[in-house]
Amino acid sequence: MSYVYDPKSAPNRKIEMPRTAPVPGLAAYAADMKATAAAEEAKWQKLCADYETAKAKAESEGKEPPKPPVRAASKSDAYEMQWPVPKESQDQDLRRLRELLGGHVEESFEQAGEIVCQVKKEAILDALTHCHQDAALRYEMLSDMTATHYPAGLGFAFSVVYHLTSVRRCKRLRLRILIPEKFEPESATQIYPAANWPEREVYDMLGIRFKKHPDMTRILCPEDWEGYPLRKEYPVVGLGQREINYREDRSGILQRKAMEAAGHFEINAKPLKAE
Amino acid sequence: MFKTQVMEINMGPQHPSTHGVLRLKLGLDGENVKSCYPIIGYLHRGVEKICENKAFFQGQVWTDRMDYCSAVSNNLGWAEALEKLFGIRVPRRARYLRTMLNELNRLNSHLVWLGTHAMDIGALSVFLYTWRDREKILDVFEAFCGSRLTTTAMRIGGLQEDVPEGFEKMVRDAFESVRIGIQEYETLLSENRIWLKRTVGIAKLSADDCLAYGVTGPILRAAGVAYDIRKAHPYAAYDEMKFEIPTRTEADTYARYLVRLEEMRQSIHIVEQCLEGLPEGPVMAKIPKTLKSEVGEVYHPTEAPKGEIGFYVVSEKGGVNPYRFHIRTPGFLNVQAIPLMLQDALVADVVTAVGTLDVVLGEIDR
Repeated sequence: MSYVYDPKSAPNRKIEMPRTAPVPGLAAYAADMKATAAAEEAKWQKLCADYETAKAKAESEGKEPPKPPVRAASKSDAYEMQWPVPKESQDQDLRRLRELLGGHVEESFEQAGEIVCQVKKEAILDALTHCHQDAALRYEMLSDMTATHYPAGLGFAFSVVYHLTSVRRCKRLRLRILIPEKFEPESATQIYPAANWPEREVYDMLGIRFKKHPDMTRILCPEDWEGYPLRKEYPVVGLGQREINYREDRSGILQRKAMEAAGHFEINAKPLKAE
Repeated sequence: MFKTQVMEINMGPQHPSTHGVLRLKLGLDGENVKSCYPIIGYLHRGVEKICENKAFFQGQVWTDRMDYCSAVSNNLGWAEALEKLFGIRVPRRARYLRTMLNELNRLNSHLVWLGTHAMDIGALSVFLYTWRDREKILDVFEAFCGSRLTTTAMRIGGLQEDVPEGFEKMVRDAFESVRIGIQEYETLLSENRIWLKRTVGIAKLSADDCLAYGVTGPILRAAGVAYDIRKAHPYAAYDEMKFEIPTRTEADTYARYLVRLEEMRQSIHIVEQCLEGLPEGPVMAKIPKTLKSEVGEVYHPTEAPKGEIGFYVVSEKGGVNPYRFHIRTPGFLNVQAIPLMLQDALVADVVTAVGTLDVVLGEIDR
């Protein structure tokens, strides 16, 4: 079932425009740092220029010159918190994965003590197989898998993450792929049977189908549910499919009329006027 | 002349022993279970979507309502995930108190499990005794945060308030009765002939199957794998605590019962260590009132009474709410393994299998 959000089908629903967010990683961090530094530098230059003009003005008028500007101290020092910065990792598991997968690894880094390996979307099954079977890696368990919607991503629409656990070595690894709309990644159930329900949940909530999955059906929502709730354009209050104004429709006649008019169960809850 | 056929029967979603709204589609050949297909989603409330649209600190009340028998564990996992995301250093006293509350909560959850599980199998009196002991622990929660089930006990950066006066005495009093209680349950059940017949060798799940299907918690430990996130990836103050990971190798319902009983004793042990070594100091870190995030993502696993609970949070630049909020609940993956546990089982064992997993549908459907 393809899902295209049609504002006409739920006219009284306010839709927030999809937000964009860069996928966490080294590239995003570098771009962010560059932008922040540029903005700060521009601010500083403006302060200096203002100071120069003010000084010249004060001199011409014979007044006392203003104080020179001071670079503001970082605010975060006052708090007991420090944002964990993504950085290059020397972790041996990541090195081993880079050896095994070669050019298929797009990015590998460490953030907040977690190691992340982003691979090409076609290579996810290879990566999972290596993680499961390679003697140096041996990630026995798939703890979790989920996906995130990036409606305004460049060249991709979703990031799918797999959280692997090595019970023997007490280690964790996050594998990540970026996929465009309508791309069907290989199902991880071929290696980790645990991925069965999480993949169904991802399909249910975000509409990503997985190839060779034994049972690709909805799991949390009803079978006839329309749309994928965790996509960013999906309104929090729902599309209004099952919304009925019971206060004004105690006898249920309005509901039946609306259903008949629509020909299905999608009742668009326009504020009903008492006749 | 006679024709036999596999009969399809729905167990649930309103069956009392499914502890909520779990539906099992059973294929039955007489008394024998031939197939089983679990269906969930009757309690789906969209917690993830709601949390994505609320400020970071507002998500906590929703974690209470996931696993309503162990709200503190959910609160702790949630708080620690966000602290990891923001890089907040929590004061030591707060970490100790969190550990203590978490272990009290584990006791509470296991008592609920034992009572209901025993009641499902047919030992009703245990239910009454566990409820008596659980009441004392709930009183402790009430003294600490004002509510008994939906505790909302944590804050990002620590705790809202320090413990009230007389807290230590209250906890110790509760333990006195719980300790006697655990002995009583052992007397009632451990060598009870009916209990043994209903649990020994029933609903087996081997260690390999547990790992393949992502089953964690006491079920994994009863299969002989000594994996506990409190030891593997210490959080709160667990790195400073001394405790054992109880394991068994039988991988059946009886082994899980013994593992959980031993876990209860270990929990008492941990709380007593916390009470003795409770450091002085503040209970809240200095953090800004509005948390604004950068681009980042974390997955933080913690050991809930039922298994691994993990919070996966993705943030955007300048965001005041999470960009993506995903909760990996233990029950969601544990229930997946029910068909495996019911190979060559009888109908009566279905109740045992569901009970031994300690399912709470609030966390499975979220």
